Order: sequence, then structure tokens, then C-alpha cells
Amino acid sequence: MSTATAQAPTPGGVRRPGVRARTAPDRPLLGTLGILALLLSWEAVPRLGIVPERYFPPVSEVLTTLVERAGTAPFWEAVGHTLYGWALGLAIAFAAAVLLGFVLGSTPRVRAFTTSTVDFLRPIPSVALIPLAVLMYGTDIRSTLLLVIYACFWLIYIQVLYGVADVDPVAEQTARSYGLGRLSRIRHVVWPTTLPYLMTGLRLAAAVGLILSITAQLIIGSPGIGQQITNAQQGGAVALVYAWIVATGILGVVINIGVRALERRVLRWHTSVRGEAAA
Amino acid sequence: MRPSTALLAAATTALLAATACSPSGEEPAEGELITVTAGVIPIVDVAPVHLGVEQGFFSDRGIDLRLEAGSGGAAIVPGVVNGEFDFAFSNVASLIVAREQGLPLVALGNGATSAGEQGADFGGVFVLDDSDVTGAADLEGLTVAINNLNNIGDTTVRQSVRVDGGDPGEVDFVELPFPDMPAALETGQIDAVWAVEPFASVIREAGHREIASNFVDTHPDLSVAAYFTSEDRSARDPELFEDITAALAESLTYAEANPDEVRRILGTYTEIDEQVIERMVLPRFPEEIDEESVRTLADLMVTDGLLDSEPDLDALLP
Repeated sequence: MSTATAQAPTPGGVRRPGVRARTAPDRPLLGTLGILALLLSWEAVPRLGIVPERYFPPVSEVLTTLVERAGTAPFWEAVGHTLYGWALGLAIAFAAAVLLGFVLGSTPRVRAFTTSTVDFLRPIPSVALIPLAVLMYGTDIRSTLLLVIYACFWLIYIQVLYGVADVDPVAEQTARSYGLGRLSRIRHVVWPTTLPYLMTGLRLAAAVGLILSITAQLIIGSPGIGQQITNAQQGGAVALVYAWIVATGILGVVINIGVRALERRVLRWHTSVRGEAAA
Repeated sequence: MRPSTALLAAATTALLAATACSPSGEEPAEGELITVTAGVIPIVDVAPVHLGVEQGFFSDRGIDLRLEAGSGGAAIVPGVVNGEFDFAFSNVASLIVAREQGLPLVALGNGATSAGEQGADFGGVFVLDDSDVTGAADLEGLTVAINNLNNIGDTTVRQSVRVDGGDPGEVDFVELPFPDMPAALETGQIDAVWAVEPFASVIREAGHREIASNFVDTHPDLSVAAYFTSEDRSARDPELFEDITAALAESLTYAEANPDEVRRILGTYTEIDEQVIERMVLPRFPEEIDEESVRTLADLMVTDGLLDSEPDLDALLP
């Protein structure tokens, strides 16, 4: 098992450890230093009285509160609600964007026909739809979903359109002359071309989806991290507000790491990923 | 960030026709509890209804009351209009404005009433301790932060200025959420704030000065907030709403008689610090809306131009 994984990254794999040793260490080291500097200044600013401690507690107090809360069931319930709205919304947006993107994108006429509508709808901020969402679905999860889907859909859809349009005409003609049918061409020519664009769209949408999931809970008051932040604010529990904000940040980082790992896996054949590994 | 009440009410009216009210009344099976959903923001004022659920005042009447915490109230009025909430909690000025904009809302019972004591109400106007302002009349030419423009805050603060002999037209108001007020006052970003509990206590404990009790200045028995529903909803289940009204009245009476219980239940649904809960000023919870106080408030809303004409309060009040 272990030998199999070690052998997997074939010719480059032999050289990679050496290469990594030369260039990579700076990155995590600098990253850690960056976080440390941030934490230190967060601790110092309220303690030195630059901002009143009562309204901006030092990081040690915030982290203590976070750790306390992380040991309770309601904390994870709220995290679960937020992740559920995020994941479901993102999945629906992804499926719809891929389907519509491939269908509309590969038919130039339909694409031209819908461009103006897309350009009109795309810049509408999802939060502007909150009154509509509330009116249709109240504080139900569907309100959250509406906002998440709306925001994520365009990000992925536009990327799919670019991807579909980026197909190399020579590759397309070659596939045709080899007698590949429409579905086979999509499978072997269009799909691999679009995939890097699609992954970029997914990565952007994953971050934006989390923001919208929490915003919806903040403003509409459906259960989740956003509602907990409001509740802490309404109770004047300042440290708890910041604890939730830190938790949100951590969640965002975890999601980003996850999507990047997925991207590397899905696109391991692509020059961008291979280049990243060998550079 | 938060859509204003007026905007929401307008949007609600416009879209009311498009979204036909979905029937949410569940058919009660014999011996089973009827599920009723209430939209309540997680603040001090709604402690009685939390107590009522806990003490069984609703379940005794065959009602399984679910309390849904819509946050800033943005979802509350639309939630009642579209039938998501069977009833909800809101301040009286918002209800008067919504009613005047054509939303068929009716009050079920009192929500929270001013504590009635100058300098010791659950909301007041605060300035920095070293400010030159000594009374509400000195607010002329200054900026006061309130949570919502064109609502109960500015109307009652203007009345404080008037009572103190000042010109309310000379006072500027800006919108600021209650939670941000203590910091905004302390860092000198704003001249004065109108804050309610628990933030009034936070400000008092930071050593700042209360210059007016705006609810008391308006009416010592001011009904600040009420429970309400839509005409359609209560007409569909008149008996259920009689029970809800009775359970609400019992909950308020219990809360009024047991302030310690109110402070205890606050620890369960809010994140307010224990010490603040112990010390803060609670609203009074009489079960009946004080009609005279609501008329006074409505008159002031007309005087200040929040309303174009005398509102039809008989349609709103129970």
C-alpha cells in the first residue's frame, strides 16, 4: 500500500523531495509567522488601551471563549446548520451551472441570445434578494439556499462558459475527423478543457457560498453561525461575537484547503498543477 | 445593512398579491397539541413568552408553541404576512406604520411596557460623563444614535427634547445597531445614544450619564411593544387565537409578578452576562396594552411627520 502511493507520482516523484526542500519551506514558515504577528498585535492593541478592551477583547480571551464553546453541542449544531446550507446550495448551483453552461455554451446562438440577460442578472448582489427570500420562504433554510445558489451559480456558470469557449479548434477538428460523436467530443475534448475553469469557479463559489450562508443567518435569523453571532451581539457578549468570527475564519480556511486538495486531485494531469509541483 | 421596516413593508405590500397567503393552520387532531410558530427576536422584552412556554401556559391550552428567533426583526412582519409565523412580537410604532401602509395587522396583547420611572427605565438617552449636555433640550444641534430611523426611538427622543423645552427639529438622528452604541459613545463617534437593555446597563456601568428616559417622557405607562398577527390568520382560527391571547396574558402576568423568573429565563435564551442580568432594569409586563399611551405615541408620529394622517388605531388594537 505505502509503496504504491510512494511510486504514484512517477518520473517527477524522484526529484520532488529535493526540489521541495529548496523552495517550499519558506511558505509555511512565513505563513505561521504571519499568523503569529496577527495574533500578537490582536493581543497587544486592546491590552495597550489603543481600543477599549471592553469592546475589543484581546485574542487570548476570545480563543478561551471559543474553546469553551467548542465543547458544547449548540456550537456544533450551529456549525452544522451553516455547513449544510453552504454544501447544499453549492451543490445545486454547481449542478445547474455545469448543465446549463455546457448546453448553452456549446450552442453559440443560444449563448448570444442569453448573454445580455446573464450580464444583467450576474451583478445583482445576493443580499439584495433578502427581502424577496424572506417573503417567499421566511426564516426557512430555503431562504439561505436561495442566496447561496444565486451567488454561487454565476461564478461557476461564467467559468464554464469561458471553458467551453476555450476549446482548441484543432483538437475539436481532429476529434471530428476521427469520427467522434457529439457526446464523445464533450467527454474527450470539451470536458478536459473546461475542467480547470470549472475548478476555479468552484473554488471561488465555495468561499462566497460560505459568506452568503452566514450572511443569510445573520440578517434573516435562520439557525446557524450567523444567528449565533446576532444573538451574542444582542446580548452584548463581545468576546463570544469575536469567537464566532474566528470560528468562521477557521471554517473558511478549512474549506479552501479542501477545495484546493480536490483541485489538485482532479487536475493532477493539468500543467498548472504539475507545474506547481515541479517548480 | 438591515433593510428598514418601511422598505420591507413596502416590498411586502407589493408582493403580497403575488404570493397568495399559504394556509398554515394545521388541522388539530383530538388530544394532540396544535403547533403554533411565533417570531420573536432574542431580546429581553420577550422573556414572558419564553416563561409561558416553560410554565406550560400554552400547552395547557393545547398549543405547542415554537419560538423562532428571527434576528433584527427584518423577517418578522413579512413572516406574519406570508403565514410563516402565526404571531410575532414587534414594537408598537412599527405596527402602526405597517398598518398605515396597508398591512392587515392586529395586536393580540401587550408585549413590554416602560418601567415608568425617570432615570430607571429599560431604555434611555446617554451621553459621555464629561459631556456638556445636562438635559434633553441640550441635544439641539447634536447627533443622537438610534436603532431605526422613523420609528419609536426618534419619536420618543424628540418628545424628551420637547418636554425639556428644546426644539426637536434641531436634533439629528443616525441609525446604529444597539450592540454598537456603547463603543460608539465611548470613542466619541457620536454625541448621544438612545440605548435599551442590556446595553443601557453596559453604558451605565462604563460610567456614562443618562440624560432622559424617553419612554417615560412620552407616557409613564407606554406600551412599547406588542404581540400581533394578521387579520386573515386570526379570522381563520378564532378559537385558537382566543387561546393564544389568554396564554399570552397569563405569561405576562406571571412575568410581571416574578421578576426573578424573568432574570433566570434570560440566562437561557440570551448571551447576556450574568452580572448584567442581575442588575439591569426590566420592562413591566402588564397584560393589557395601554391604549392612551399608544394614542399619545401615534399623535407624536403624526406631529413628527412619520405618518401623514391620524392612524386608525381601533383596527390595530385588540
